Amino acid sequence: MTDHVTLTIDERTVTVPKGTGLVETAQAAGIEIPVFCYEPRLGPPVGACRMCLVEIEGMPKLQAGCTLTAQEGMVVRTARTSPLASEGQNSTLEFILVNHPLDCPVCDKGGECPLQDLTFRYGPGNTRMTFDKRTQEKPIPLSPTIALDRERCILCYRCTRFSESVSEDNDLVPLNRGANTVIGTFEDQPYRSRFSGNVVELCPVGALTSTQYRFEARPWDIQESPSVCGLCPVGCNISATTREGKVKRIQSRNHPQIDEGWLCDKGRFTYGHLTAADRIKTPLLKGEAGFEPLEWDDALDQAETLLRAGGDTVVTAFSGTESTEQAYALGRLLRAGLGANGAVLPEEIPTALDAYRAPLSSIRDATTIVILTRDLVADRAPIVDLWVKAARRNGATILTEIPEEKLEDAVLISDNAAHAAWLAQDIDAKSAFYLPRTPNGRGVADAWSAAGDGEASNEEPRVVIVSGDDAAADPAVRALAAGADFVIGIGLFQESFEGLADLVLPATSYLERDGTTVNLEGRVQRQRRAVIAPCPDELAWISKLAERFEVEVSPHASLAFEEISGRIYGGVSFAEIGEQAPLPPAAEKGAPVPAPKPVQVPVADGLRVIRYRPLFSGPVVDRVPEVEFQKADHEVGMNPADARERGVIDGDMVTVNSRGNFHRFKARIVRDLPAGTVRLSTYAEGDLTEFVAVRK
Amino acid sequence: MGVALFEKIQEIRAIYPEGTQSALLPALRLAQEEYGWLSPDALREVADALDVTPAVCKSVASFYDQFHLEPVGEHLVEVCTNVSCALYGAQQVLEAFQDELGCRAGETSDDGKVTLSTIECLGGCGWGTIVAVDHHYRTGVKPEDAAAIVKELS
Ligand code: SF4
Ligand code: SF4
Ligand code: FES
Repeated sequence: MTDHVTLTIDERTVTVPKGTGLVETAQAAGIEIPVFCYEPRLGPPVGACRMCLVEIEGMPKLQAGCTLTAQEGMVVRTARTSPLASEGQNSTLEFILVNHPLDCPVCDKGGECPLQDLTFRYGPGNTRMTFDKRTQEKPIPLSPTIALDRERCILCYRCTRFSESVSEDNDLVPLNRGANTVIGTFEDQPYRSRFSGNVVELCPVGALTSTQYRFEARPWDIQESPSVCGLCPVGCNISATTREGKVKRIQSRNHPQIDEGWLCDKGRFTYGHLTAADRIKTPLLKGEAGFEPLEWDDALDQAETLLRAGGDTVVTAFSGTESTEQAYALGRLLRAGLGANGAVLPEEIPTALDAYRAPLSSIRDATTIVILTRDLVADRAPIVDLWVKAARRNGATILTEIPEEKLEDAVLISDNAAHAAWLAQDIDAKSAFYLPRTPNGRGVADAWSAAGDGEASNEEPRVVIVSGDDAAADPAVRALAAGADFVIGIGLFQESFEGLADLVLPATSYLERDGTTVNLEGRVQRQRRAVIAPCPDELAWISKLAERFEVEVSPHASLAFEEISGRIYGGVSFAEIGEQAPLPPAAEKGAPVPAPKPVQVPVADGLRVIRYRPLFSGPVVDRVPEVEFQKADHEVGMNPADARERGVIDGDMVTVNSRGNFHRFKARIVRDLPAGTVRLSTYAEGDLTEFVAVRK
Repeated sequence: MGVALFEKIQEIRAIYPEGTQSALLPALRLAQEEYGWLSPDALREVADALDVTPAVCKSVASFYDQFHLEPVGEHLVEVCTNVSCALYGAQQVLEAFQDELGCRAGETSDDGKVTLSTIECLGGCGWGTIVAVDHHYRTGVKPEDAAAIVKELS
């Protein structure tokens, strides 16, 4: 076995693949080498904390175990069998604790703190420190979502390495030198990154804490619910921490093929939407003076009357935030009960792409990646951006247009489904990822087709159902609704339906329901109810309503899923999906897809405006004040060359001149932006034409 | 803003391999020569010219005593306080300068003339205490020499 090595750790013999780190090797032998700074997901080890000291036969001094790999014949002794290593670790901890405030009773990390745990196991039982400890201003806001307590920092550099080598924002850095080193940002600006919250989870002490979770709970009075984020099509695996029936924080639940243990800040910090002031808790009926609450029985009567009036002309507009089961239940009610086959689906995904299916983690191993997206990948599917960055660090070539020469084994990432399906075949891609616009648009489309068949009516819709707050915000849906006699809304927030709907039925959030979603890889994943919604579950009332139309709809997500699965997911059960859902195999390559018509890019004087939907936008984000600072609506993205030509550097205020209308924006240099274009959020204020002039 | 500085930094940048941060130190030096100190705006300029973040520039600049993140006076007095000079009595020399200038290490005298700072080993361990006055070494400096040196500079 030349690709394996055999060594001894604490007198146990262990064989591992060549190149395995000593920490993992020990783990394989059932032995702990304690660590603080070591975290393989952050790149090569740095050996900063010295917690991992071990004795190695033939080496004169104790070694930092985390920096070594297993070698043939190595004889390693950890603190379990080596008094020297034990003494070394004890001293390391004593040293780390010299200026550590030991304010565990008021520290959020207390009870789940590696420093506490390792001090108990390996550290000194008391202190020789009789001097005053160094104190610092505490806590300081690193951002509205993260508090920094410099006294507690043990300078393991996990957070700054994350900023440098994972999210690559390079905005969280060590400042000063030696014992005076502190963690910080440029000029104390808020640490603003789509992924900033990960540093809270990485910090092995209570130096970086979540402002939302601060003083809210203790590790021994919380529950964890394994679920899946429902805010974008990545579908990161999450653990929702709850206490007394309330969500208190969202943490990662590492799915190595999807998220590798990272979350974006939208997924991590916006659970506050559950308790938004305008959350809809009861059915609402439009009255003289706005919405009025309605009893459930009356609401179902109303809904029945409206649906009967609409008959087969009813059109349902989905948001893509529904669970697959909810969309299926609605589909059964409308398609089987009314023959109403008209729907506005958020997403149509060509099945041809299923032949190019691969786990997201495979992007990291790509040699060539072709990215054809209008929105930045990071805005549409944040974690995919991290995989692309990992690939780039591994030496992959990233292309943003199709080159002349033939591509080998390219990975395609696109936000245009039809084009992607054709291109994947044309370049014979190794794998292809379409980035949908909505979290579960794919599952919703699947569910709708599984719920029945038949053509939509040609008549104008007399009734439109607007499902979800995102659909309610969509101008196309609003235009459709404006032409209908009645509009039924289903949603979370009252404001979304003001002036739009005649009857509104309350919806549940993804954190409040059981069901499944389909992510951008085509992976069916399970969401679990972390907290009880302030209203009945959709499936419960849809089932009751369906009864009135003599359609049987199960009020239980598991049974609804069984039906759907039997029709389109090959009969897998809820239980089989499990807590870490597997990826279905890639489909056989099918018939050639026709080439889509090329899009003409208009040319004119000035910089062409590309409008995009920023990650931090939408009804959920709008209800969480802590993430307001992440919004990019007051920023204009510029290509480096265009900026240079105008003497603009990142962070400068610039004037955007749109046919004589002047607007001020903060300039952001975006390297991936094509020259001659500027990026502006769809939500940016101001009357902006397609071409603008920009000056400092 | 400094177009010239941008160009000069590009020249330095071209010397080093693409994708490394090797040009950062010389670029920071250039900026400091240009402005006297590394103001937040100077750091932003360097960042822009090198395609890194201002935070990275600040991180590196704050590591080295030789970079000034505060405005400095016309003259610079740097007292080595590392082990060898400490044994010669560097602490007393530093205190003498503090008394003479009326400011502490890391600060500038009220008249804006002289900035006083401590510094790591300057390599003159045999002739401590070493004091660098506008980058020129004075060897064997004693506390009682401080007054004369300050007078020279005013
Ligand atoms: S803040 Fe936390 S993660 Fe960052 S260096 Fe300090 S201890 Fe490590
Ligand atoms: S990347 Fe998408 S799925 Fe993951 S946490 Fe963010 S919003 Fe949720
Ligand atoms: S874990 Fe090895 S030095 Fe920190």
